[in-house]
Amino acid sequence: MIDLDHVSKVYEKGQRAIDSVTLHVDKGEFVFIVGESGSGKSTLIRLLLKELEPTKGTLTVNGKVLNTLRHRQIPNYRRGVGVVFQDFRLLNDRNVYENVAFAQHVIERPNHEIKRRVPETLKLVGLAEKYRSRPSELSGGEQQRVAVARAIVNKPDILLADEPTGNLDPRNSYDIMKLLEEINNQGTTVLVVTHNRELVDKFNKRVITMKRGVIAHDVEEGGYIEA
Amino acid sequence: MRLNSIGYQFRQGFKNIGRNKMFSIASIATMAVCIFIFGVFSSILLNVDSMVRSLEEQVAITVLFDEGTDEAAHQAIGTQIGALEHVTETTYTSAEEAWEEFKEVYLGNNTELADGFQDNPLANSASFTVKVDEIENQSGVVAQIEQMDGVRQVNQSSKAVENLQDLNRLITAVSAVVVLILLVVSVILISNTINVGISVRKDEIAIMKLIGAKDSFVRAPFIVEGLILGVIGAAIPLIALYFGYGQLMNTLMQRFGFMSIMAGMLPSIQYVFRYVVPVSLMLGIGIGLLGSIITVKRHLKV
Repeated sequence: MIDLDHVSKVYEKGQRAIDSVTLHVDKGEFVFIVGESGSGKSTLIRLLLKELEPTKGTLTVNGKVLNTLRHRQIPNYRRGVGVVFQDFRLLNDRNVYENVAFAQHVIERPNHEIKRRVPETLKLVGLAEKYRSRPSELSGGEQQRVAVARAIVNKPDILLADEPTGNLDPRNSYDIMKLLEEINNQGTTVLVVTHNRELVDKFNKRVITMKRGVIAHDVEEGGYIEA
Repeated sequence: MRLNSIGYQFRQGFKNIGRNKMFSIASIATMAVCIFIFGVFSSILLNVDSMVRSLEEQVAITVLFDEGTDEAAHQAIGTQIGALEHVTETTYTSAEEAWEEFKEVYLGNNTELADGFQDNPLANSASFTVKVDEIENQSGVVAQIEQMDGVRQVNQSSKAVENLQDLNRLITAVSAVVVLILLVVSVILISNTINVGISVRKDEIAIMKLIGAKDSFVRAPFIVEGLILGVIGAAIPLIALYFGYGQLMNTLMQRFGFMSIMAGMLPSIQYVFRYVVPVSLMLGIGIGLLGSIITVKRHLKV
């Protein structure tokens, strides 16, 4: 599903963010990516979103070689990859329903499908009752649920979460992680970048630890290892 | 693009306008002024043009022949005139017809007054009435006819028509300059409005791109916004012109002293609108599209 073959990313200032990383993630896996700030976790996510180009190496996702993807092919590729951020990135001038429907409008789904799919997804994340609320009226945990709903409403094969619990208290963090696990159980490959040691230990999933741009540890059903 | 996406894009376009009202109003106002001025000048031009045309219909070249020439000679000259470039129509009036017409017009029922004349007093009044396609070509045609053998005199219409045409050219030049300047200002203002819209929605655009929006989908609401601004900017002056046309034209014509010539010649608003509405709408839409497209290209890297 996700293949990195000796991928390096050197920023323009000469800073090496990722150094010859080789990594394979199977379809349906749940993977934690941990490590200190500046270890290259977020760069990895941005490479997978094709926001950045690798300096060296080959990235293959969903059978597509990202290096050779043309500009006009990028939208189609991204439709197969959902993403959740630490700061939610919701549209504050729209309610919960509209925020989720937005993702469907953007990929030009027909209205009847949007009307069916959005309530379905809101139910899955436990926000069916609050569909008319504005993001500002919701708690942090609820806002992140909306963001998750928006990320999965288009049924992506892969869900990337960049510090999804960074702004949440332990209770909400646990709930969000449970939600991501549930989504994973339904077949979506999930990659979660996190600092949250407690959660990583609790969930007992594959853990990839990054340090200064390289993979320091890659453990099946592991816990948080200090790099 | 799907049909319901187009609906979505239009709603977004309208929302954009609502989100930055001040800039939208400024662009609409400038464009409305621009198109209004264009409409007023067009109306004046169409009015002067219609004056010129009705004057042209009334005036023509009259060709009189040397004394002692007969009708066969006249007809030969007529054939020569008919063959000239720009001549559209030649009508022959024989001496007898001229006399009959004179009697009818000036003597009316008192035909006995004419009995006193033994011969046709207008024996040398056979003439050709010549019409040319456009007034500019009249002098050239006259010069050529004057060169012909057997032609005694050529009368041509007054200078009034030519003066009107000079005026028409002046108005066209002045309005072209004014409208051009305002067009540029309108495009810049629309561009600015769209630019504000893009910067306000930077986050939204970033999310759209991450979700997998096509470039065209990201750009469309801004193009729609420009389009809507353009249509509103054209509609306002057209409505104003529709209701103010008669008053406006009368005032203007009076001020420029055309009232006497103009009596009964004012073309209807329907006639003027047949030309002004499509051109104004195209101007509005053109300004709107141009303003948004150049901005989207420059500021929306997708």
